[in-house]
Amino acid sequence: MEVRDLRAYYETKAGPPVKAVDGVSFTLDEGEVLGIVGESGCGKSTLASVLSLGASPTLRIKGGSLVLNGEEVDLEKMGGVPREWRGKIVSLLPQRAMNSLNPTSRIGDFAYDVMKAHDSRVNRREAIKRASQRLEQLGLPARVLQSYPHQLSGGMRQRVVTVISTLLNPTVLIADEPTSALDVSSQKALVHLLQRLLEERVITRIVFITHDLTLLSNIATRIAVMYAGEIVEIGTTEQIITRPEHPYTRALIHSTLEPEQGVRKRKIEGLTGSPPDLRNPPSGCRFHPRCPHAMEICTRETPPRVGTSRHYATCWWVKQRVEAMNEGDLRDTVERAAHTA
Amino acid sequence: MSAVLPQSREQATGLSFGEALRARFRSLSALPSGRFFFSVILFLAILVFAILGPTIFNQHDPLQIVGGLYDTPSSKFWLGTDNFGHSVFTQLMFGTRTSLIIGFVAGLIATGIGVVIGTAAGFNGGFVEEALMGITNVVITIPSIVVLILLSIAISTRSIYSLALVIGVTSWPWTARAVRAQASSLRTREHVDIARLAGANTASLIVWEILPYMLSYIFMAFVLQLTSGILAEAALSMLGLGPSNSVSLGIMLHWALLWESVRTGAWWAFVPPTLFLTIIAFALLLLQSSLDEVFNPRLRRS
Amino acid sequence: MSRFQRYVLTKAAWFLVAFIVALILNFYLPRMIPGNPVDTLVSQMAQGGADVQAMQQVYNTYIKEFGLDKPAISQFGTYLQHLVHGNLGTSFALYPTSVNSLIANALPWSIALQLPAILIGWLLGNLLGAIAAYRGGWFDWGGFVGSLFLSSMPYYCLAILLLYGLAVKFQVFPPGSGYSSNRAPNWSWGFFADALQHYWLPFLSLVIIFVGGQAIGMRSMAIYELGSDYVGYSKGLGISDNRIVRYIFRNAMLPQVTGLALSIGSLVGGALITEIVFSYPGIGSLLFDSIRQNDYPVIQGITLLIMVAVLVANFLVDIAYGFIDPRIRTAQTGG
Repeated sequence: MEVRDLRAYYETKAGPPVKAVDGVSFTLDEGEVLGIVGESGCGKSTLASVLSLGASPTLRIKGGSLVLNGEEVDLEKMGGVPREWRGKIVSLLPQRAMNSLNPTSRIGDFAYDVMKAHDSRVNRREAIKRASQRLEQLGLPARVLQSYPHQLSGGMRQRVVTVISTLLNPTVLIADEPTSALDVSSQKALVHLLQRLLEERVITRIVFITHDLTLLSNIATRIAVMYAGEIVEIGTTEQIITRPEHPYTRALIHSTLEPEQGVRKRKIEGLTGSPPDLRNPPSGCRFHPRCPHAMEICTRETPPRVGTSRHYATCWWVKQRVEAMNEGDLRDTVERAAHTA
Repeated sequence: MSAVLPQSREQATGLSFGEALRARFRSLSALPSGRFFFSVILFLAILVFAILGPTIFNQHDPLQIVGGLYDTPSSKFWLGTDNFGHSVFTQLMFGTRTSLIIGFVAGLIATGIGVVIGTAAGFNGGFVEEALMGITNVVITIPSIVVLILLSIAISTRSIYSLALVIGVTSWPWTARAVRAQASSLRTREHVDIARLAGANTASLIVWEILPYMLSYIFMAFVLQLTSGILAEAALSMLGLGPSNSVSLGIMLHWALLWESVRTGAWWAFVPPTLFLTIIAFALLLLQSSLDEVFNPRLRRS
Repeated sequence: MSRFQRYVLTKAAWFLVAFIVALILNFYLPRMIPGNPVDTLVSQMAQGGADVQAMQQVYNTYIKEFGLDKPAISQFGTYLQHLVHGNLGTSFALYPTSVNSLIANALPWSIALQLPAILIGWLLGNLLGAIAAYRGGWFDWGGFVGSLFLSSMPYYCLAILLLYGLAVKFQVFPPGSGYSSNRAPNWSWGFFADALQHYWLPFLSLVIIFVGGQAIGMRSMAIYELGSDYVGYSKGLGISDNRIVRYIFRNAMLPQVTGLALSIGSLVGGALITEIVFSYPGIGSLLFDSIRQNDYPVIQGITLLIMVAVLVANFLVDIAYGFIDPRIRTAQTGG
């Protein structure tokens, strides 16, 4: 799966659009869980709704495409992911599972509607049977299919929603802050369920959007860090957690993964101010007004990608450091060569 | 009544009365459409016509007999005369005035009772809430037109104000219901807790921490009560239970119907009060619904 | 006891309380009239030159009927006793006609007018409201302003304008009344066809306004539902728009059922006056005449009838609501 140069703007009544997602690209291989982190308002939830739903009266897709199973969809032209793909190829695990089920449908009927939407030949009995098999396979009681949403506990509703989202074995699951409204034990249960789904090969790829880096380090294989509508750094979980490059990632890791230094601190350590107004993002690097390492060039020019396509940071400061390091390496090599000679 | 009760939208903290008001009305700058202004202008025009009309057109006695039975409109009497030979135009000004007075007084009474009962129920909760809402629900199910009829035949002299009182005391339950929902959602807000911890007593909590946040809803409820008061007066008057020795829009219609103006084609006797009642109700409901969209953004279309 | 049974019992208890309150209001309010209504009546008859013996007979009838020689509480007892036997008393104005027979003559007309108006208006209004909310655009805007205008118009105002426009100015329909003056009510096709012709205008004037009010309610409920989380999730699973509209319609419909209960009272009130406008021979016209003639027993009989009818209608709608909303119908399991 590959997302290419995705742009999605919110139209405002007066003035420039809010550039919530601005040129986002990434690839996702089979078996991978890509975590996407960032402060609230960085565009990560917009990214989720563009990938799973598409445009709305206020949200316009201004460019980008999605490549999946060898097919490429022009998201701008299609106005989002086509209906036939939704639920079957790209599926959504929503933010508020509590209210995401139709209050007047039994769970089983809703599961039937989902299956029927992609295969008109399926009958109700067959659908219920398949759904209950799936529930049992995952160690959940099949009798929930007879229930209405209000009869289930919050944690159970979240698990039921997860099962319904993955009922049709979608290629990729877009999980949009699925844990934000859950207590700690339900969060663990959900992560466990998602891992189980991966093991059973029900799903093969997850895009997991959250602001909780700690949680992400348990489930993600790779992590993308978003800031002001752009990916500022991407890499394996290990790379991001232990060797962050981008100053924003460093601040994020520093403040969230070291709980002994003031667990309750909301603000990201070492960072002042708040994320920028996405109607008029700062020139050059969007992070420069808050960056402790900002240089003159950062205010003027868009930072380059430093690294490979699977592990990079977009930052002038990182570029400078890498160049310095490479120069150092070069000097080492030259010196070593001279020495041997 | 607004279909959607608003959720707690702003995480309000301990704001003063003035700040709370300003916070409330700052959202007014986001007025969604011209509907608000259209309705306000329409209603103001009618208000001016009723209050200043008699002075402007120098007509001071609606009961003065100036012509015969259903004289057609002329340059002297723009809307002709009614069955008694009164000038319909003059009657219309004074009738609108009476209807508006009754609507305002009845609306104030109904809103007042409704706010007191609703706030008491919503703020106290528990048994008080159950009891007050039980009473409210009982009163809501009994059709108010019937109680109005019974009360109106029971009072010895039907003056404008006694009629307004009767209408007011029968129509408060809607407001009580809406206000209760508001008050009970406000009760658990942080700023109320802070004030309570600071030692404020119940009365000052209600005046400073609850009422300011409900003002917009109370105002919307008042607009609805004003409308229904005007229409209730018209309905009673048409049944023959209107205020005696005065003219209102409903009384004009009552006589027009009784004297067969519709079937004889004397349109000037019934069209003006009909249109005025409709326009007043339309303007007020439009005002209410546009305010509703300002205060309940979920109703607003993108 | 199931949740649903508990719901029905609670509702029944509340309606019983409302019914008792209605009875008390209906009994005591007219008794607040200063003086004894029977004295007023007899003095009116004396002015009309009735003979002493007849007056004495009338006087005795009413004193006995109301138990006016006994204390108020036992008068209430007498009143209840009469009610239990289905006896609403004797008319003042049309002595010695019973109130029962006056109402029995008028009631079928009112039911035939109002029941279809309520049912058809409700269905049509909800359909239009849902379409407006879903389609948006000009249909929504025009429909909304139009419905708002219609629903803010009192029933009788539209009735007057329709009567003038379609029966007087352009004589498409007969100008009021329930049937032609040269006919007497009977069970023949000819009479039925004649009555139907007279039926359309009052019916239309009720339905049009009722549709407007229901459409507005449905529209805002449906817009509210459109923003719900389950709509987004269903879209995200590729469920077709048609199916999602059905979810929205069903869920928005639930509060509209309660809305029906609440609007029945105002429709009945509006219909009373609409009947007067059209001189339709129903309860409204009977009420109008009895108010002009200070015919208290008839007024009281009618007000009681309306209260009971509205209470029963409300109760039935509430029960129906409990039946169609799974949140009430099904037992709560788990948290």
